Amino acid sequence: MTNRLKAALTIFTLAVLASCTAKGDDPGLEYAPQMYHSVPYEPLTQIKDKDRGEWLSNREDGLGEFYNSNPNNEYEQNVRVPVAGTVRRTSNNVLPYRLGKDDIALAAEIPNPLPDTPEILAEGKRLYELYCDHCHGNGKEAGKVGVVFAGVPSYSSPAQRNLSEGHVFHVITHGIRRMGAHGSQISPEKRWKIVKYVKTLQQQ
Amino acid sequence: MISKNAFTRFMTACMLVCCFLFSGVEVFAQKDQVPTDEAIIKNGESLFKDWGCNTCHAVDRKVVGPALAGVYDRRTLPWIYEFVRNSSKVIASGDPQAVAVYNEFNQLQMPNHDLEDNDILAIMAYVKNTEDNPVVAAEPDPNVGGEVVAEEGAIPSEYVNIIIIGLIVVLLLILLVLAIMIRFMQRYLRDKKELSEDDLEIVEEKFDLVAFIKSPTVIGIVTFLVIALAAKNVIDGLYMVGVQQNYQPEQPIAFSHKIHAGDYEIDCQYCHTGVEIAKSANIPSVNICMNCHSAIKTDSKEIQKLYAAQESGKPIEWVRVHNLPDLAYFNHSQHVNVGQIECQTCHGEIQEMEVVKQFAPLTMGWCIDCHRNTELNTEGNGYYDKLVEMHNKVNGEKNKMKVEDIGGLECSKCHY
Ligand code: HEC
Ligand code: HEC
Ligand code: HEC
Ligand code: HEC
Ligand code: HEC
Ligand code: HEC
Ligand code: HEC
Repeated sequence: MTNRLKAALTIFTLAVLASCTAKGDDPGLEYAPQMYHSVPYEPLTQIKDKDRGEWLSNREDGLGEFYNSNPNNEYEQNVRVPVAGTVRRTSNNVLPYRLGKDDIALAAEIPNPLPDTPEILAEGKRLYELYCDHCHGNGKEAGKVGVVFAGVPSYSSPAQRNLSEGHVFHVITHGIRRMGAHGSQISPEKRWKIVKYVKTLQQQ
Repeated sequence: MISKNAFTRFMTACMLVCCFLFSGVEVFAQKDQVPTDEAIIKNGESLFKDWGCNTCHAVDRKVVGPALAGVYDRRTLPWIYEFVRNSSKVIASGDPQAVAVYNEFNQLQMPNHDLEDNDILAIMAYVKNTEDNPVVAAEPDPNVGGEVVAEEGAIPSEYVNIIIIGLIVVLLLILLVLAIMIRFMQRYLRDKKELSEDDLEIVEEKFDLVAFIKSPTVIGIVTFLVIALAAKNVIDGLYMVGVQQNYQPEQPIAFSHKIHAGDYEIDCQYCHTGVEIAKSANIPSVNICMNCHSAIKTDSKEIQKLYAAQESGKPIEWVRVHNLPDLAYFNHSQHVNVGQIECQTCHGEIQEMEVVKQFAPLTMGWCIDCHRNTELNTEGNGYYDKLVEMHNKVNGEKNKMKVEDIGGLECSKCHY
């Protein structure tokens, strides 16, 4: 009898332990949840359920321990878009770019603030391969995504060959016609570096 | 005088008729004005490619812009010249045909082309020639471009299975042969008369399975194995409490890294923009998806969810996979930018996952292990020059500087 009980107990423990591990939709068991869950707002996490973790909560507002959302923001998000016109403090002296999408003629006049050095060109090439080459390929033939997207021009075609650096910078920032804006992904300094590299592709 | 007058009148009439005829030609038989000269067609073809018309137009089907076959019938040549040179001007002037085609193509703007009339006419000649003599499969179909040939790397798993089964079969065969050999030996020995009693006993010995199983040695070994296995399971299980390895939640949109990062080779950083510059890798917002999905797979149900999100401004609620406890600090830029560690070291072969799965355990032991074993990437990093020099003085050239040597094991580096 006791033998069977022992066996059953072992199997039960094994089953419980097996269910602690994470797989599929189940994140598994935590053993010190109060130390794991953030008290301040977590930018990349949002738990909107006010009762989550109520069973161990000692919060003063009486909400569940794991509740992590900012009710004052839109959609209770923990992050906010910066106020329009915000300037980064660490911008490496590159001035904020204030031209709107339609000011492309003005933009074309702006010179590239970066000097011509092999390092900057190499960095521009690296960044180009991160952000552009799946559409624009080697600058002559469209890349893999570019083929599906269709309508990706070659930089060295007569219509694109003579585009100024300011123009290309503006195109990255705000997009043009069917190309989307990439300003939110790439900082201005990196954009100018990419422009340097595109300049060499226009000549090929 | 009269004759002269009559002559003038006659000439005027002729001119009028000519004008009428001419304008009639211009409106109704433009096709005939498109040259069919070999050289002009060749020139048109190269212009069509050089100026990138082919990226947006095909002759016989819609790509980004309309199929160009028959434009010279739909429109007048001067209209085409103007439109190709500066389409927005023609549309702005309120030309009904231009406005109609502009709206039909979702108000996509065609770029301006600094081309002369006869260049554009040459392009039309090329278009007409292609229309009249359709080339079979001349251009690659853009819809096929996405096809990717499966890469052949390691031995496929079916082969591994087949090899294992083959090995087992061979082993069984060997056993069988051995058993047959024993049988023959026994018979041979029994037939031999001059065996002693003892030897005969050995030869005649029967194998008793039940007695064997019940022997204390076997019971002991089996009990030990069971307990050891159970203990291992219990300990493993306990270690896995609080570890989320293999967590693979379903996401609100069936986004596949295999398609994007694998098949189409989009770089991780295109979407995870923070990796080099910040603590967080960042999950892309809708506008980044829209850079491509404004034109790709526009009628897929999953992509419709993106449009809905963009319209309402409501962020997509992706389910977070990797999540260190709040008590630990991890910074991507330190590892990716300074340490030059590949994403795959910590996240596994993401570019082959349909749904993201947590690959590493993300335990403290995992972080510490790597910090003990990984040499620093100090090349071209001025910050480390002095440190490396001092480290080499103390530990010798062979003992490369590891993360632990710069304090990678200090509690306060990771706990705050
Ligand atoms: C999603 C695909 C895609 C990506 C990524 C992309 N482009 Fe483009 N790009 C296009 C398309 C499509 C056009 C043609 C737009 C049109 O004329 O309708 C274009 C046009 C251009 C032009 C020509 C603009 C003009 O005035 O004619 C430049 C320059 C350019 N892209 C630069 C870049 C750079 C630099 C990057 C990387 C930061 C980049 N693009 C990333 C799709 C892309
Ligand atoms: C970036 C893509 C793009 C490029 C490059 C392009 N077009 Fe277009 N084209 C369009 C679109 C889109 C339309 C439809 C009208 C609109 O939306 O403005 C169009 C319309 C036209 C029309 C009018 C068709 C009709 O049925 O009325 C002609 C003619 C034309 N294009 C010729 C050309 C020629 C010639 C070139 C090369 C010199 C060229 N296009 C390059 C996108 C493009
Ligand atoms: C086209 C955009 C895109 C590209 C390219 C991309 N990702 Fe992602 N990634 C996403 C999105 C969207 C999510 C959130 C949804 C999900 O988890 O599937 C995500 C999630 C992840 C996660 C899990 C995040 C979490 O919740 O813990 C990891 C890890 C990751 N990506 C790594 C990579 C790596 C490594 C690459 C390059 C090989 C890559 N990604 C390329 C868009 C992208
Ligand atoms: C650089 C271009 C690019 C970006 C950015 C991009 N995608 Fe895609 N996406 C593609 C391509 C190419 C395909 C494959 C289309 C095909 O199979 O024909 C695709 C396919 C898909 C599919 C499968 C659609 C179906 O029904 O088969 C989904 C879902 C998807 N993407 C979601 C997203 C999400 C969400 C994002 C933003 C995080 C995103 N994509 C960003 C290029 C992109
Ligand atoms: C040294 C290991 C390591 C490397 C290398 C690494 N990651 Fe991570 N990644 C992590 C850890 C640990 C987390 C969990 C962070 C947290 O929860 O705070 C994480 C989280 C993420 C997330 C979820 C969002 C976030 O920031 O928490 C994404 C997306 C991601 N990584 C993408 C990438 C990409 C893309 C690369 C390659 C450029 C990369 N990672 C390289 C360890 C790594
Ligand atoms: C694949 C190996 C690897 C893994 C896994 C790894 N690290 Fe690191 N870590 C490094 C390297 C290499 C550096 C040194 C980068 C440099 O040159 O500064 C580093 C540096 C650090 C530093 C800065 C140390 C200092 O003295 O400046 C911190 C903090 C850190 N890692 C935290 C973590 C945490 C937390 C984890 C686990 C979630 C982790 N790391 C996992 C390789 C790794
Ligand atoms: C390289 C970074 C790193 C260093 C150095 C480090 N830790 Fe950790 N530690 C972690 C991570 C990551 C976790 C979370 C592990 C998990 O979730 O399983 C952790 C978890 C812990 C925990 C467990 C907390 C819990 O509830 O699970 C304790 C206790 C701890 N660390 C103490 C220490 C002490 C003491 C030191 C100094 C000797 C130290 N750590 C140094 C990264 C580090």
